[in-house]
Amino acid sequence: MPVSSDILPLQKTSDPATAAEVVDLVQQARAATTPLYPIGGGTSLHFGLRAKTPGWGVTLSKLNRVVDFPARDMTITVEAGITLAELAQTLAAEGQRLPVDVPAADKATVGGVIATNWNGPRRYGQGSLRDFVIGIEAVDGTGLLFHGGGRVVKNVAGYDFCKLLTGSLGTLGIITQVTFKVRPIPERSAWLACSLSSPKQAEAMLAALQQSAVVPAAVELLAGPVWQSQSALDELKLDPRGYALLVLLEGTAAEVLWMKDHLRREWRDAGVVNPLMEDGCAAPWLQIIEFSADLDSPITVQASVKPSGVLPFIEVCRQRDPNCSVLAHAGNGTVFVRFATFPDKGLGQLLLGDLQPAASAQQGHVVILNAPPGAEATNQSYWGGEAPLALMTAVKRRFDPLNLLNRGRFVY
Amino acid sequence: MTTIVPPTTQTLTRLADELRRAIGSENVLTARSDLLVYECDGFVIEKNSPDVVVFPRSTADVVKVVQCCNRADVPFVPRGAGTSLAGGCLPIGGGVMIVLTRLKNILEINYRDRYAVVEPGVVNVHLTNALKGSGYHYAPDPSSQGACTIGGNVATNSGGPHTLKYGVTVNHVLGIEAVLADGSVVQLGGPAEDPLGLDLVGAMVGSEGTLGIVTKVWVKLTRNPQGWRTMLAIFESCDDATQAISEIIGAGIVPAALEMMDQGILVAIEAAFGFGFPLDAQAILLIEVDGLEAGLDQQRDQIVELCKRSNAREVRLAKDEKERLKLWKCRKQAFGAIGRLSPSYCTQDGVVPRTQLPNILRKIIEIGTRYDLKIVNVFHAGDGNIHPILLFDERQPEQVERVLLASNEILEACLASGGSVTGEHGIGVEKIHFMQKMFTPDDLQAMDNLRQAFNPLGKLSPQKMLPTAGGCGMEQKHPGRRAAL
Ligand SMILES: Cc1cc2nc3c(=O)[nH]c(=O)nc-3n(C[C@H](O)[C@H](O)[C@H](O)COP(=O)(O)OP(=O)(O)OC[C@H]3O[C@@H](n4cnc5c(N)ncnc54)[C@H](O)[C@@H]3O)c2cc1C
Ligand SMILES: Cc1cc2nc3c(=O)[nH]c(=O)nc-3n(C[C@H](O)[C@H](O)[C@H](O)COP(=O)(O)OP(=O)(O)OC[C@H]3O[C@@H](n4cnc5c(N)ncnc54)[C@H](O)[C@@H]3O)c2cc1C
Repeated sequence: MPVSSDILPLQKTSDPATAAEVVDLVQQARAATTPLYPIGGGTSLHFGLRAKTPGWGVTLSKLNRVVDFPARDMTITVEAGITLAELAQTLAAEGQRLPVDVPAADKATVGGVIATNWNGPRRYGQGSLRDFVIGIEAVDGTGLLFHGGGRVVKNVAGYDFCKLLTGSLGTLGIITQVTFKVRPIPERSAWLACSLSSPKQAEAMLAALQQSAVVPAAVELLAGPVWQSQSALDELKLDPRGYALLVLLEGTAAEVLWMKDHLRREWRDAGVVNPLMEDGCAAPWLQIIEFSADLDSPITVQASVKPSGVLPFIEVCRQRDPNCSVLAHAGNGTVFVRFATFPDKGLGQLLLGDLQPAASAQQGHVVILNAPPGAEATNQSYWGGEAPLALMTAVKRRFDPLNLLNRGRFVY
Repeated sequence: MTTIVPPTTQTLTRLADELRRAIGSENVLTARSDLLVYECDGFVIEKNSPDVVVFPRSTADVVKVVQCCNRADVPFVPRGAGTSLAGGCLPIGGGVMIVLTRLKNILEINYRDRYAVVEPGVVNVHLTNALKGSGYHYAPDPSSQGACTIGGNVATNSGGPHTLKYGVTVNHVLGIEAVLADGSVVQLGGPAEDPLGLDLVGAMVGSEGTLGIVTKVWVKLTRNPQGWRTMLAIFESCDDATQAISEIIGAGIVPAALEMMDQGILVAIEAAFGFGFPLDAQAILLIEVDGLEAGLDQQRDQIVELCKRSNAREVRLAKDEKERLKLWKCRKQAFGAIGRLSPSYCTQDGVVPRTQLPNILRKIIEIGTRYDLKIVNVFHAGDGNIHPILLFDERQPEQVERVLLASNEILEACLASGGSVTGEHGIGVEKIHFMQKMFTPDDLQAMDNLRQAFNPLGKLSPQKMLPTAGGCGMEQKHPGRRAAL
């Protein structure tokens, strides 16, 4: 897959077919003190600070095998370059799935998803990506091929490299192999949606869901023009200033039926008259999964705040840009905002002046998912928020003393 | 690599004085007789006394203690309730033991955002009790929950019967405040998910006190399920019982808990609690499903059917909440009941892929016969996490030797079937020699690299978990350890 030079300054790209070949490559890069840029499906290479130093690309596309799939143990071991779509297909043949929703699943790879710690709507009911990674193999910046975890679902031997590498943006090691624990595919799914006129009403509905006997698979809060033009939501007649609340239900037929009925009654008592109810999880769920991956908007950010901070944070964004579109995995406190216009006062002012204070007021932080080339962000504005950077840097130095892996792209 | 040079008496006297001044003499123990209590934890095969025991009352106290230790160049090791079964609290090379049980406040409970903030010395069950009636609970429920601390749970990444469905400690920790080996304080994560930058929370959980001293924990709260169905399936053979486990997991059912007890342990539990277990049964499974009422009967029927197909003699249902709680009491206090069977016991902890359970249990029986040891089993079957309990008499060195050899063989068999040598108790000192069997030298190098980033001088919890972390001179001297090699 060719990578454009405005995304990564690549002098050449290699495609190792085995972990040993990855080790060789790192050794060569070390000898040449040339940075390495791991590449999965290339769907989110723009994520992270812009790479400045020319280096070599390492494409994992040839490391794409299923290594072991003992279906009755509900675990699977795969190489890091396999796409999420292929993984899903393999698992589905046995009625199983990795319940992590990823945009562009036909391109995104296991290694890339783990490196970026991608999580979608089902995180609320199923847990996050890191909960499913039980074994990992990677090559660090010195060429050391190392493993953590194993192939069993419970294991506390040694340090948990599965967690350490999830979300490390390929800066501690090039991931070559992964073992997941997986789940059965539920028998049924269905969803309910309603429109809400004010942030106050939206917060009341979210808080009530916390107390409900219903156990949703996902709790999504939507706002803005993108959703007003989404035909699957037409019936909601979304108010430009209002919100839509969507709740995904999964389980056995009896469970889903009960939850649908129960939630509809709870919503009616709360004054919601005509909720939208549909079986399955087609539109708009596919759009929800793809929302953050859209590159049309001039700026897309992701905030992680405590769940009760979701609405206050969104309100700050809407004050800045009344035409922004919002998607929140509201039960988890994850908010994506696609701004409609580039801010007059620049990116730095938007982040440092408005968004980061709004997120830290809710004990969270904001990162940029996408911004136009040229809108250079500093390390501080890009990775807004408090983090023990000295300790993280100490870890990075031990795994990659020459700073070869994704140099200058992450927090350190 | 650090070698631990025992501190001189003079150094220790000065250090003890300094510690008394720093955190108050009522929080410092140095009398020989007081220290004896701290010479081992739940792993009794190796003992060594610390030189000083301290009881900090705040994060600031912990910082002061660590600074004093560093100035005196003396090793230090954190301890919670001391229920570790792997010798995680053994003070190798003596030094200062930092006992966190006086840091025992629940600082915040936030239901809207589903988290609680606790100090490390909070006993696991105290948090559960504090949440009673709220509709929420803290999911990790180790069998030792009446005694063990949340700090200890974080350090060992504890599991429990219900972690089959809900996940182990690491899946329920949002943030950690810790004092690092150099005395600095860091906060990793917090109430919001996805901490910025590296997931050092994930790295710290399960690090057995070698990366930092946990002084505060943000834990997730879990909604209580609407209902339960609790079953007791009775089998004529262990093979049939393990077959049933494989069938249930393979059918895509995720029970809340799936525990197995064999006849040896049933006898002890029955003598202790008089529940009415059939003493002639070879194995029973304690199976619980939870969730929405609307789905429970269906799951229960499916499980009953699968058990019957695997030749269960009978499947009983807990008829009410009282009976259910009694069943769980029997399971959770099973270890306590073992005292009836033998003066000492060694609880092993290994993991196999779930489909390998029939093979590993057969192997355990074979090993027990060969070493002429009684081995009973009570374990987290749904996770493939076995806990063979080897019965012996600690006063007979020759028996100790046999226990160690048999334990080794059992763990080797777990590794041979693609498993792990510890599912929840940790490596500690007990299994340090297994690290080289489970991991390559390069894996261990990477682990040492991580430890070096947090704990470069190796003074915090020396010679634990990693065979590379410190000299191994000690290992040769101890008869037990030599036997274990
Ligand atoms: C913050 C964020 C922004 C996102 N934005 C988009 C988006 O705009 N469009 C979209 O479709 N999806 C986006 N995603 C989701 C994305 O589809 C997946 O999360 C995943 O990152 C894509 O996998 P990939 O194989 O395409 O990775 P790539 O895009 O090829 O790589 C992503 C990052 O992971 C590193 N990496 C890749 N493979 C490995 C490996 N084997 N070992 C180590 N490091 C590796 C790369 O160096 C790079 O920094 C985003 C995710 C996140 C977390
Ligand atoms: C009868 C019995 C049943 C058990 N059942 C289970 C079970 O079902 N599941 C399970 O997982 N375990 C079980 N265990 C093992 C044990 O209870 C757990 O490992 C528990 O988490 C230890 O907690 P503790 O407070 O006793 O820690 P300790 O034993 O005091 O310490 C354990 C380790 O953690 C470190 N440590 C303690 N506190 C801190 C801190 N604040 N910061 C950093 N490091 C620290 C210590 O240095 C040591 O390495 C059982 C033990 C017994 C005796």
